[in-house]
Amino acid sequence: MRQPTRITCGKSNRYIRIVQPTKSRAGTSIAANPACAALALIFLSSPIFAQLTAEQKQANLASFETVWTTIRDKHWETNPGGLDWQAMYAEYRPRIEAATSTEAARAIMRDMIGRLKQTHFAIFPAAVYQVLDADGTGDGWPGFEARVLDGRVIVTDVHQPQSNIKTGWQVLQVNGADLAPLLVKLRADPAIHELQLERAVAARLSGPVGAVRSMVFADQNNARVLLDVRLLPPRGEFSGFGNLPPQPVWFESKKLGNIGYIRFNIFLDLVHVMQEFGDAVQQCAHCNGIVIDLRGNPGGIGAMAMGMAGWLVKQPGERLGVMYMRGATLNFFINPRAAAFDGPVAVLVDGSSASTSEIFAGGLKDLGRARIFGTRTAAAALPSVITRLPNGDGFQYAVANYISQGGKALEGNGVVPDLEVQLTREALLAGHDTVVDAAIDWIRRQKVSQ
Amino acid sequence: MTLFTRLTFLGALAAAFAAAQPLPKAETILDRYSEVTGGKAAYQKHTYETMTGIISFPAQGLGGKLTRYATAPDKEYSALELGPIGKIESGFTDGIAWEKSSILGPRVKSGDERDQAAREALFDSQVGWRKIFPQAETLGSESVNGEDCYKVLLTPPTGKPETRFYSKKSGLLLKSTTTAVSPMGEVAVEVEVSDYKNFDGILFPTQSKSKMGAQQMNMSITGVSFDQPAPAGTFDLPPEIKALVNKAAGK
Repeated sequence: MRQPTRITCGKSNRYIRIVQPTKSRAGTSIAANPACAALALIFLSSPIFAQLTAEQKQANLASFETVWTTIRDKHWETNPGGLDWQAMYAEYRPRIEAATSTEAARAIMRDMIGRLKQTHFAIFPAAVYQVLDADGTGDGWPGFEARVLDGRVIVTDVHQPQSNIKTGWQVLQVNGADLAPLLVKLRADPAIHELQLERAVAARLSGPVGAVRSMVFADQNNARVLLDVRLLPPRGEFSGFGNLPPQPVWFESKKLGNIGYIRFNIFLDLVHVMQEFGDAVQQCAHCNGIVIDLRGNPGGIGAMAMGMAGWLVKQPGERLGVMYMRGATLNFFINPRAAAFDGPVAVLVDGSSASTSEIFAGGLKDLGRARIFGTRTAAAALPSVITRLPNGDGFQYAVANYISQGGKALEGNGVVPDLEVQLTREALLAGHDTVVDAAIDWIRRQKVSQ
Repeated sequence: MTLFTRLTFLGALAAAFAAAQPLPKAETILDRYSEVTGGKAAYQKHTYETMTGIISFPAQGLGGKLTRYATAPDKEYSALELGPIGKIESGFTDGIAWEKSSILGPRVKSGDERDQAAREALFDSQVGWRKIFPQAETLGSESVNGEDCYKVLLTPPTGKPETRFYSKKSGLLLKSTTTAVSPMGEVAVEVEVSDYKNFDGILFPTQSKSKMGAQQMNMSITGVSFDQPAPAGTFDLPPEIKALVNKAAGK
């Protein structure tokens, strides 16, 4: 049998998470005050939203049918979440029919999928698309990488030295728009994942190749610096995978002293990236260790995690974890390469390391083969699909479950680093990457102890 | 007895008669298949086979081409070039089943996976099915896409059994089910075949639709030729595979 592949990467909105309704403090205070409670009851008995038109009501019903049927047919368990799914239909369909607004219909559908108690099942309003995807039309990028650190957009790497932009600078404005309100808005929404936040910021910094973005930075002295930044062609080569639109893919490897350093932006362009990964490992056969930097890597083709692990594990019969799908259980097995590296391996992760990155890092951690540095990963390992519902909302659903070799679901848990290290603006301004430094320090100590 | 009653009675009698008819033996069904697809002489006159085809995974939007070389008695080499996944090669030579891909690199198959590859490599498997399936049993009748079929269970000495469905009318194979085995696990496979075409006296199904778990794969055979030897070295073990074999043997 040919090895199945799995696609988990894609647009930022693939990582919307389930938001369980929580009790608000306001609700508690209303219940404690009889007058307010009476007022609340009056409000509740009155339609807050305008009455639905026949078309909107039909769209909500069609959306419910789509959600219910999709979970029935695509969930990896024939009784999704251990529930009697047919009985769920009987329970929820009348409630949708009685819903007086799209918001109410959405809440009912969220309640239904919430009973699965599984992540990667979510419904979110169409407005989320608008906030996340704004401005990001075009492949051009500003020639520097930026991350959200401690609520600020910070330049973490500069690929265009002549631009005068320095690592550690803060991006304050793009084309006259302050980034701070955007960050406040997105960070306040628990449905927005760190990975999406980063993508939303990246979208503000990008645009058509050749376009000029007027940007305001805070430099190392927090002085405002205004620069016109011409957007460059994307880094790397475009590569697609079946129905997935082509995306730029880049791979870099270098030596930091006698330690190998490997970084790539996404698990795609399989043939080239696998070849370069193998070459980089073989060129480092006598290195003191290898650092694999998966920070900001959203995942991609799941099978590539298995293949890369084969360059780092010599023992046959090992696996990274197990994926459960309807009709199949797949071992993410490791086929050791003849020239597999057996020195220390450090894997760097952060909240934007998702999916295949988590499978790779989590599996190697569970096997005791790699030490993980950075911050907890996105906890978004499942292959999921996002589709638009007839009423315009987004619907995300997972088609498999994945258990890492240590027996824990990565979904909802993520990979917890062995050593938690935050990237800081201060260190970047001083020319240091604290996470890389920690990994190198650990590898050097391994060498000394040997 | 009214006409209607008589017809009903006759119908019931016919059904009872049909139900009472013994099912043909599995070996009769299998031997009939080799006959209707060309016959023993046609199969045995060839010693080389080259097959080309196009493969697609519609849900993923992936596609590629397959080339397969086989020679008697049991050597086989396949190359699947699948766009962004690259080339996946596999083969069976001198009892060694192997695979090589951009993702996983080279590996030697073992256990049930190796035995499954050995069965697939047997050049005269249609005529010589007894060599690979010592047990064959007709389980009953079942419809495949509206066509009545005999359902036959084939059990190899090791590994997973295979169920095949042969048209009662034409004797042709229309469907098979089995469990594919690999280090990634076991996956139920269902293959429906159609559009038989004559290639140098032998009928081949030129279209197949396979379901492997949730995956669907379609294959279209574009050409089958015989007795043109494969390019030199096709069936040789690749150096990486030889190295793995030697390492396992302690050489």
